[in-house]
Amino acid sequence: MMIELKISTLLWIIAVLLFMLLLFLLYIIIQHNKEGRFNRRRDAYVEAYTGDWYDFLIRDTDLSASVIPHNKAQVTAVERIFLSYLKNLQHPEIEKKIQDFANVYLKDFYIEDLKSRLWSIRMNALYRIADFKINSLMDNLESFEKRNISKEEYFQLFKIYSVLQPSKFLEKLDEVQITYSESEYRRLFILLSDNIFTQVFDNFYHYDKNIQFAIIDTAAVKRNMLFISKLKELLADDSLEIKIRALKGLYEIGIVDEIETYIPFVSSEVWEVRLMVAKIFRYAPLSYTYTYLEQLIQDENWWVRSQAAKTIIEDRHGVEMLQQFIVSADDQFAVELAQETIMRRQGGK
Amino acid sequence: MVDYIMKFFGSLIIFYMFIVIASYCIMLTVALITMRKRYRLDPSEYDDAHIDAFYSKPISLLVPAYNEEIGVVDTVYSLLNLRYPQTEIIIINDGSTDNTLETVIKHFKMKPIEQIIKMDIPTKQVKQIYQSEIYPNCILVDKENGGKADALNVGINISQYPYFCSIDGDSILDEKSLLRVMKPIILSDGEVIAAGGNVRIANGAKMQRGSVYETNLPSNYLVVMQIIEYFRAFLMGRIALSRFNLVLIISGAFSVFSKKWVVEAGGYAANVIGEDMELVVKLHRLLKEKGEKKRIEFVPDPVCWTEAPQTLGVLRRQRRRWHQGLLESLWKHKRMTLNPKYGLIGFISFPYFWLIECLGPIIELGGYIYLIFAFFLGNIYYEIAITLLLLFVIYGVIFSIASIIFEAWTMNSHPSTRELLRMTALSFTEIFWYRPLTLIWRLEGIINFFLGKSDWGNMKRQGIAGKEEGA
Repeated sequence: MMIELKISTLLWIIAVLLFMLLLFLLYIIIQHNKEGRFNRRRDAYVEAYTGDWYDFLIRDTDLSASVIPHNKAQVTAVERIFLSYLKNLQHPEIEKKIQDFANVYLKDFYIEDLKSRLWSIRMNALYRIADFKINSLMDNLESFEKRNISKEEYFQLFKIYSVLQPSKFLEKLDEVQITYSESEYRRLFILLSDNIFTQVFDNFYHYDKNIQFAIIDTAAVKRNMLFISKLKELLADDSLEIKIRALKGLYEIGIVDEIETYIPFVSSEVWEVRLMVAKIFRYAPLSYTYTYLEQLIQDENWWVRSQAAKTIIEDRHGVEMLQQFIVSADDQFAVELAQETIMRRQGGK
Repeated sequence: MVDYIMKFFGSLIIFYMFIVIASYCIMLTVALITMRKRYRLDPSEYDDAHIDAFYSKPISLLVPAYNEEIGVVDTVYSLLNLRYPQTEIIIINDGSTDNTLETVIKHFKMKPIEQIIKMDIPTKQVKQIYQSEIYPNCILVDKENGGKADALNVGINISQYPYFCSIDGDSILDEKSLLRVMKPIILSDGEVIAAGGNVRIANGAKMQRGSVYETNLPSNYLVVMQIIEYFRAFLMGRIALSRFNLVLIISGAFSVFSKKWVVEAGGYAANVIGEDMELVVKLHRLLKEKGEKKRIEFVPDPVCWTEAPQTLGVLRRQRRRWHQGLLESLWKHKRMTLNPKYGLIGFISFPYFWLIECLGPIIELGGYIYLIFAFFLGNIYYEIAITLLLLFVIYGVIFSIASIIFEAWTMNSHPSTRELLRMTALSFTEIFWYRPLTLIWRLEGIINFFLGKSDWGNMKRQGIAGKEEGA
């Protein structure tokens, strides 16, 4: 009896499940068809108005009223057109035109999207607001921020502020409650103007480790002479990680104006530090650095040794110096390394 | 006596099926919640965000090749096609007996170079290193035969970047694959030390110079069945396990690892069958033993395409080998099972893989045999038998259909309505042929394990279907 009951229950369960799946299947098929129609409308718009947009954005003609999008499919088409221009051409005038158009005709669609229950729709809207720099939405974003939003949405807000309202960005950066990863901060900082980024750098010790690391890395990428002295200051920091990163940053900027700063690090106890110095010396004349590199080529660490050899051979007189080294040195390991380095150099030619 | 045994086994199997179904339900739910969030998110946005060299970390792509003269050139092209700022491609010819070496040398104009190799992991002798004259970031290593694990270890030793990605000689990647699989690693600042991507079946896909541009459902039922199986494994397993850092298998066909950690774990183990799983388990073990808070993740969308076996014989060898590899890794690290030192890995992952993935075939096959017996023994056992059959239906048919539907819904992949219906229809037949067959093959894997047989199951490559149209 018990088992019989089980069987009928199971049959019911299966029937219900199958029925639900069937409904779902129907829903998906309908959804697919809807999407197909949506895509066709979108493509039709792109087809019809690409020329008008080209005339407007590139050839400065007036825009006809017919290009104004009236539904979501058309908005998506406009987005596509705009994004392709923004990604492929960096032209302030085009950016301005897109911004102006979006401020007037796309804004309302994004206000609606920001109210969506779906996280992905809200995210897409935030992406577009940042892409098109829609600054007329700042008040809406202010109230959007007060809602219970996700970490990712908050990040997008950050991005938008950094582009459209730097003062607010700096304010938010001070009080940020959510921890983002270094790479996320880097993504934000790289967008900042040098002026704003300098302000962030000035506040270096005010921030968490993640932000500090991101500041160092971004400074290296921005390759502004201004940041060299700032990075050098960080070499005195107590944190080993900051020291190494600052050295790496200086190496990436690739300008060595004096070598005195780096000499103490040649005999650092940490091999990563010695490695970075061996790299940095590539940007200084070998006549100044050779004594130190000779010490580093006999280092106990493999990476340091081979980097020192590479740095020497990069120089015009590198091969000569290594050959001299081979004759005079006692360290068999280092001699072999020097020989291999020379061989590789000659083999590569 | 017979009565007692039949009732006992009947209840045992039914009980087991309940556990299995319950755990699949839980995993499916977790997967759906995770996937639901991303529904309709503009994918171009997040792929593009990582394209700049500044945001990403350089990767060495390792292609171990043993007698892969047919597929290897396509693989390398698909790697050259990847949108990623900084990569090097290292093809490792593991003492092939066919023309793999010559094919690669000729096709990519490889010239011998001198390079110092840092032996982080001990390996077999390297004979010669070559560099391509056309693509300077493409390197070929010729070494003595030592198996796939050894070849990968050589690749790790030679690689110069902090991350490496192992790629099967026969798999083809999508141009955005690497960006996607690297995303968790980049965003987590190195907290994620390994990531694996979603593997798809390439049969029926049309490709041109290593890029898939159109997918069609192949006509071979065996392949379609495997496609459904991949969907299932993905929705009812990897996503949920990954969410809680419990993944023990990330596909060897496409996964990225942090070199530092892999070297510390001793690299790939030679002489095991499932070296990819073995490495992941070893990494988990190392992390727990060192008390490190690092993660190993499965990424839902990177698409790596691989050629699925088209005949029963080849599929049988593949499954036998997979199962033997699974058992081997579990057995080797059996100490981790229910060991509080290994946290949830010991208390959830291991029991799950032992009970459901590994021993499942024995019990399930017992269920099938039970059905046959019950049929002959007459109507005393038919209730148990029917209950069992219905559970098989839920387990086989319902879950498969659910996977197909949710895959179509969440992944924004657009199979045509006809294809969707065809797959659904085929799911109804699964429990009658495909399932029992794979169970037998997996059982063979278990037997092989105990017999200590090694079976390398070389798959006969036919080149990817539809390739010729592109070439």
